[in-house]
Amino acid sequence: MASFALGKYIPYKTPIHRMDPRVKVLGMIFLMVAVFFSYSTFSMTFSVMGAIALFIIVIMIISKTSFLKLLRSLKSLWFMIIFLLIIYVVVPKNDVTEMHVAFAIKGYNFYWESFLDAARILLRLVLMIGLSMVLTATTSPLDLTYALEWYMTPLKVIGFPAHIIAMTISLALRFIPTILEDVNRIMKAQTSRGVDFEHGGFGKKIKAIISLIIPLFVSAFIRSDELANAMECRGYDPNGKRTKYRKMHFKWSDALALVVVAAILGGCIYMKVINFDLFNILLGEGAVL
Amino acid sequence: MSKILEVKNLQFSYEKETPVIKDVSFDVEEGSYVCLIGHNGSGKSTLAKILAGLLSDWEGSVKVFGLEVNRDNIREIRSKLGLVFQNPDNQFVGSTVRDDMAFGLENRRIPTEEMDGIINKYAGEAGMIQFLDSSPENLSGGQKQRVAIAGILAINPDLIIYDEATSMLDPSGKKDILSLTLKLKEENPRLTVFSITHDVEEAWRADKVIVFNHGEIVLEGTPTEVFSHTKELQEIRLEAPFIISLINALRKQGIDIPDSIKTEEELEDFLCR
Ligand SMILES: Nc1ncnc2c1ncn2[C@@H]1O[C@H](COP(=O)(O)OP(=O)(O)O)[C@@H](O)[C@H]1O
Ligand SMILES: [Mg+2]
Repeated sequence: MASFALGKYIPYKTPIHRMDPRVKVLGMIFLMVAVFFSYSTFSMTFSVMGAIALFIIVIMIISKTSFLKLLRSLKSLWFMIIFLLIIYVVVPKNDVTEMHVAFAIKGYNFYWESFLDAARILLRLVLMIGLSMVLTATTSPLDLTYALEWYMTPLKVIGFPAHIIAMTISLALRFIPTILEDVNRIMKAQTSRGVDFEHGGFGKKIKAIISLIIPLFVSAFIRSDELANAMECRGYDPNGKRTKYRKMHFKWSDALALVVVAAILGGCIYMKVINFDLFNILLGEGAVL
Repeated sequence: MSKILEVKNLQFSYEKETPVIKDVSFDVEEGSYVCLIGHNGSGKSTLAKILAGLLSDWEGSVKVFGLEVNRDNIREIRSKLGLVFQNPDNQFVGSTVRDDMAFGLENRRIPTEEMDGIINKYAGEAGMIQFLDSSPENLSGGQKQRVAIAGILAINPDLIIYDEATSMLDPSGKKDILSLTLKLKEENPRLTVFSITHDVEEAWRADKVIVFNHGEIVLEGTPTEVFSHTKELQEIRLEAPFIISLINALRKQGIDIPDSIKTEEELEDFLCR
């Protein structure tokens, strides 16, 4: 099966796995926002981000999310990362006169701040990927769908079909492996008929892809037609009332988790708003960057 | 005995001028096992869809459980009817066996607290209890069809329709589903099974066989009656079950074999006596 960028659900039985998916989704959004703040100074920014990183590492350890996978997903992004870092280092973002020169090559200045900026972006990226990995590794796609449906429920008032969208997403998730199997089967069938998916020029590649896409679409339409029949036969009425097999349970531990994450976000917002600088207080004016 | 299915002068076409079902009438008694056999494209699936209310604009009368199939009755009919389709993948709605069985219960507004009990009971009956948390990619075709059957059993049906439910399965999967069906019928004599099939061995075990060709019924009766028309069957290129050919061949040799003999074992016993 194709591996998705952010990794798959791993059904361990950890406290993070057992958390209410709604809390996990909201918690992840809170932490992502917190990660995105910059504070009065670089040292403050890095300290706060370091603290959040530590928190995320603890969550990853509890939830048995693999660090190796995190590194691997970074590996697939290396090109983008290097490109980003080069841009940041070569093109100073702010007013150059207020920045500190790290070194110069042939009269072109490189600034400390640029390197720190780049490091900040890199750290953010890693933390965001880590967070989304924790979410997807500990929450089954179906639970995620339910959580999203729950958040979209208020929109039902204005006629937004949250339950239909949730059903559509869960069906799409259910059929991804089936369709991938189709892809494999059709590719093999076409290869045995002489289609070459790996070699040949642009024109040939396009032809090969078309020989895959068309049967794939035909098969997908047949599948969806039969699926619709089967669902209707089993009494599905998209607009009718249905009971729910999987109910989400908001537990005390979920409330606690939510309070902790909200406190982290609240603290971050507060520090940002008052321009808090711990190092200034401890070490005096202008001691660090 | 009451009639579960009553079809009178049914005619249907998807496109005008090309009738797919031409003037079909038949009945199915409560508690019977009826097989419909016929070639690809003879309109069998179309008939099944009409019975389940998945098509509209036919001519004639179709009654299920004594109720005319129409908009007003369809909900009630479907609450007691289960249809198992040919392709095991395309009727698997949930991401696990458990969720798939729950899908039908959710639609029928069964309270959440009762669902697990029902799911466990009927998954057990269909022999899928140890697979409750498996996802469809990890199940064989036969197991997926078992799940479909379990999902139907969970709504306590009066009628199960199979539309070539075993034609995509390997021989052991076929046998498996057939013996499960026979077991269910034994446990609940009121259960009616209407099975569209290519499997003449299955038809041989039925109470009644209907042979379909080009949207028309060409033969109808007990398996013994129907399969004695070897010539008509050959004309539409359907083969009689092996046991029938064997009995016919033996009779030609002058051995008198009673009609009561249905299986190879019984024949063996009879001949050895
Ligand atoms: N959705 C459809 N639209 C138009 N024609 C159809 C459709 N489904 C089936 N047919 C046609 O109706 C005929 C009977 O099909 P079907 O009932 O699937 O036969 P069977 O199940 O016996 O193989 C075939 O000729 C087929 O091409
Ligand atoms: Mg068919």
